[in-house]
Amino acid sequence: MTIFLSSLGFGLVTASVLAIASVGFTLQFGVTDVLNLAYGAIMIAGAFVAYLVNQAGLSVWIGLLVAVVVCSLGSVLLNSGVYTPFQRRGTSAITMVIVSLGMTLIIEFGVQALAGGTAVSYTMSQGATLQAGGLTLTVVQIVVIALSVLVMASVHVLLRYSKLGKAMRATAANKTLARNCGIRTGRVITITWALTGALCGLAGVVFAIDAGSFDATATDLFLVLILAAVFLGGPGQAYGAMLGAVIIGLATEISAAYITADYKYVIAFVALLVMLGVRPTGLLGART
Amino acid sequence: MSAELTLPGVPLRAQGITAGYGGDPVIRGITVHAMPGEVVSLVGPNGSGKSTLLKSLVGIVQISSGTVLVGDREVTNQPPEEIARAAVGYVPQVDDVFAPLSVKENLEMGGYLLHRKQVAERVDRVLAVFPQLAPMLGRAAGKLSGGERKMLAMGRVLMLSPGVFLLDEPTANLAPMVATALLETHVRQLATSGASVLIVEQRARAVLAISARTYVLGGGEVRMEGTPAELSARPDFVDSFLGGGRDRAVTPE
Amino acid sequence: MNTFYLINLLIYAAVDATACLGLSQQFGVGGVTNFGFIIFQAAGGYAAAVLAMPHDSANGGFQSYIGGWNLPFPVPWIGAAVVGGVIALPFTFLVGRRLRGDFAAVGLLVTAVLLNLLVTNFRPLFNGDAGLSLIPAPLQGEFNPQSASYQWGFTAVALFLCVLVYLLLQRITQSPYGRSLRAMRDNDVVADSLGKNLLSLRTAMLVLGGAIAGLSGGILVSYISTWSPAAWGYAETVVLFAAVIIGGAGNHRGAVLGAILVPVGFEEVTRFIPTSNNLPPNLIPSLQWVAIGLLIVVFLWLRPQGILPERKRVIGGAAQVGQPDTGWRRLARAGVARPEAGAADSGAGLRDDRFPADRPAPLARAEPEGGSSDRSAALGGAGQGSVGDGERREGDGVPPAAASRGDGEASAVVLEGVGVVREFGGVRAVNGVSFQVRRGTLTGLIGPNGAGKSTLLAMLAGTLPVTSGKIVYRGQDITGVPAFRRARLGLVRTFQLASEFKRLTVMENLLTAVPGHRGDSFRGAILGKRYWQADEGAAITRAEAVLARFGLERLANEYAGDLSGGQRRLVEIMRALMAEPSMLLLDEPMAGVHPNLARQIGNELVALCHEGMTILMVEHELAIMDEFCDPVVVMAEGAVLAEGTMQQLRARTEVVEAYLVG
Repeated sequence: MTIFLSSLGFGLVTASVLAIASVGFTLQFGVTDVLNLAYGAIMIAGAFVAYLVNQAGLSVWIGLLVAVVVCSLGSVLLNSGVYTPFQRRGTSAITMVIVSLGMTLIIEFGVQALAGGTAVSYTMSQGATLQAGGLTLTVVQIVVIALSVLVMASVHVLLRYSKLGKAMRATAANKTLARNCGIRTGRVITITWALTGALCGLAGVVFAIDAGSFDATATDLFLVLILAAVFLGGPGQAYGAMLGAVIIGLATEISAAYITADYKYVIAFVALLVMLGVRPTGLLGART
Repeated sequence: MSAELTLPGVPLRAQGITAGYGGDPVIRGITVHAMPGEVVSLVGPNGSGKSTLLKSLVGIVQISSGTVLVGDREVTNQPPEEIARAAVGYVPQVDDVFAPLSVKENLEMGGYLLHRKQVAERVDRVLAVFPQLAPMLGRAAGKLSGGERKMLAMGRVLMLSPGVFLLDEPTANLAPMVATALLETHVRQLATSGASVLIVEQRARAVLAISARTYVLGGGEVRMEGTPAELSARPDFVDSFLGGGRDRAVTPE
Repeated sequence: MNTFYLINLLIYAAVDATACLGLSQQFGVGGVTNFGFIIFQAAGGYAAAVLAMPHDSANGGFQSYIGGWNLPFPVPWIGAAVVGGVIALPFTFLVGRRLRGDFAAVGLLVTAVLLNLLVTNFRPLFNGDAGLSLIPAPLQGEFNPQSASYQWGFTAVALFLCVLVYLLLQRITQSPYGRSLRAMRDNDVVADSLGKNLLSLRTAMLVLGGAIAGLSGGILVSYISTWSPAAWGYAETVVLFAAVIIGGAGNHRGAVLGAILVPVGFEEVTRFIPTSNNLPPNLIPSLQWVAIGLLIVVFLWLRPQGILPERKRVIGGAAQVGQPDTGWRRLARAGVARPEAGAADSGAGLRDDRFPADRPAPLARAEPEGGSSDRSAALGGAGQGSVGDGERREGDGVPPAAASRGDGEASAVVLEGVGVVREFGGVRAVNGVSFQVRRGTLTGLIGPNGAGKSTLLAMLAGTLPVTSGKIVYRGQDITGVPAFRRARLGLVRTFQLASEFKRLTVMENLLTAVPGHRGDSFRGAILGKRYWQADEGAAITRAEAVLARFGLERLANEYAGDLSGGQRRLVEIMRALMAEPSMLLLDEPMAGVHPNLARQIGNELVALCHEGMTILMVEHELAIMDEFCDPVVVMAEGAVLAEGTMQQLRARTEVVEAYLVG
């Protein structure tokens, strides 16, 4: 039972990081129709920004704030400067994938060029270890989970109750009609990328915190987990991403406890491939 | 029960519109106008450019020459979101609602340009015009029946109290009785409430019954215009539907 | 310069060029975007390794792997190519059309990463993360692999194989089969409707590309004696794609250039950058990747066709192909050029059905001069001579064997629909339609918007499946027959929207439609130009005649994508005629066409019908119906409303109402 509980604990943390990341990714896809495969690279860039701040003597949590801002700006630039011009030209979806892979190389290895190839860690304390109901978690882990819950709640409130959130959903559902309603969709899209870019930066830092030590390539495999969570829930569906993150996060960690840890990603991969083959609109998406 | 609906009708004047999708123009030199309080219909065979004309008026299709005036304001080739701000409402033929959003949210999006306080009031007004929508406020728009969707689409536009109402084949895919009801009750009401209504329709007979004036399009141009009475009396009116056109219809590619 | 440095450079160039050639063929020519491409090279590498290595208990048993049969050169390399090709087969499922392009791409990338992960972690397979080492070099028992002469020999062999692959791919791509591949790349739905077996073509490309990639893996492995998962991550696939894009996809020289510039070039350039201890570690390799990423994005923006874009294939007159065109020579060639039944892809055995005894040759295929035509020669697609003078010949002679085929009545039913229904998403677009189309008629299909005309036509052509009901063509139930087979049976359709093969010239567009072309199969392509040259010459002559008839000869060598709307429409019609149809299904052929030209097309269609062709045409312009079509069928709301001439229909109130009521 303790194996299960400790893996459950890990699973909750992984699910939390994954949820923050996946919601950002899926909203970007929803509103722009682009699979931003450079998302993982921006995440790790954020992690390194926080590292720099941390190395300068400040707390990693301040570094997190800086990372959020940097990644937000960077994501807006990525969409406005790269994706949108290509899309305006009528570039095919497959070519957009190649473009985003190219951007991944630029960003990820740009970070590696600046930061070197060795793994680094934040200088921070993990805080006390707490126990509740058989689960053992450090304070930092609990903070990560709490942050994730906070983000999910905020996204929910934004999408369901705010005018901007509804405009985002409307733009994703039917851009032309949204414009007919007077919605300035260009602005809505930019704001969406700014918000999701912020989520990306946040996800990057908490990922790095959870991982302990990280280098520029650390998010390569994590991107696949994000894709699995996104496609499980349905691309473009924020609630789907949350659901997918919980399922994938828990499944990978719990399976890692019972099968060798080496294969823990395999479950996510297989889930992704099955969803692509059987139901690409996801569990929460509309049937095509 | 008809609601007390007043709309700030504004004249719509489109002059010499030539537009297309980038290759050869689909419509050439089209001049139409609609005055407040009247239903003006656009009929004609397939491929005659009716839909394209509406899309060009709301900024979806590029106009290569010609002008569009809403009241005194020129809106030629402005982006759709700006034209919406000129109080022009457009109901497209397909993709006419936000399918994943609820009925209420659809209406709220229709009222995007309104102040927060106005929205609730306007929603009530729309529900008075379309009482069938009231029990379905929480339902996703994609789950509505064809007739309900069209009413929602029109209701969404009504939120803005538009001065000009553009409808693209609102009765397409509707059962005949629903279609007739939609035209005779709701579309007519838009005009009697003051708006300028320009409606494209395939069901020529039905829409002529509620129109003050009609334009018959063919091959991307206006072939005939007049009141329904004048047109029905013309021997070549029926012909224009069944092959009177001399020029080719140019379809978008 | 250090000898071994040069050898190293050349061998890597050969290996990378070979792999890029395989990818260019798959992606640039066949339009098959396979982001899991690296798996083929990896599989080949592992295959060569475990075929060449001794059993894993040897060498102190520190490696664990399957196989280990210690086979001599060249078996490991052959095995590498075979395994690469076989591994490619399951990919046919992932590469089909059902999934959105970018989703499929992600799926393939993920598959590559997944396999890498599995191999890394499942040690008994290929020694896991550490990979295989001490892989024997070819013939290392007889020679010293470390000697310069051995290594030069190895280099020569590697380069030789690369050149061989290049020549093979050139041969395939320049053939009519290669043309079909490019057509599939440009517009697969249309290629399907013209008789191309997409599944077969894609599978062939995957297997071919896989085998070539596998071979490149085998060569590499034999040179560096090691092979581990680190050597074939997803990044390596990205590099290969970058090389092909930058060099020029669809151009084999571009693939080689890309290989030299990107994987090789980058490696070499870094040697010349001075190293310094002040620089952060990993800087140079990181910058290499950044540069590759930049090149990908910049090239896709500024020059997506690559440095060496696909070259236009200019095709001249038949005079340039083989001998001059004189009457008896033409006949002689006709005799020689008879295609065998199996020349085209499988299923061509049905071809003989396409030329019933009583149906004369279609437009622009005059019978060879001298009335006693050998029907089989004409059937061979080798009908020569131009019909530019507008003269139409009647069918000439009935081959004795085929005389009793079917009925000879002019009013025989060619196409019949029985209770055809199309339902999708709860909507019945076609609601139980039954009709008959008789031979030699130009039948019009009209109706208001949403009546179901285009849907019905799509079902007749096989582009859309039937929900229920039956479709009978020349007495045969073809309801379940896929579109490409229907085309081979002589039932050919055109499309409403632009559907030319954009990156093929007009002439090539026409030539792709030619059925039964000897060069239009994998085998035919391999056998080379001499095998299919005559068929090609004949086809070109036919095409030139068709172009002349429609007055578009000067556009023959223009890219079809560059033409005006009306011209593209004509290309579509001409192409359909090149397919030697017995029955044509035309979807709004006059849309976007100048009135005079539309009239000319109408006249041509009528003339074809007088020769025995059957045509069913969906159109909106009812004036055309008036002038050319008899009978005309009116559909409304998914069902047949009435049938007759336009005059008759105009007089019927329910028809008028259908249009006015909408």
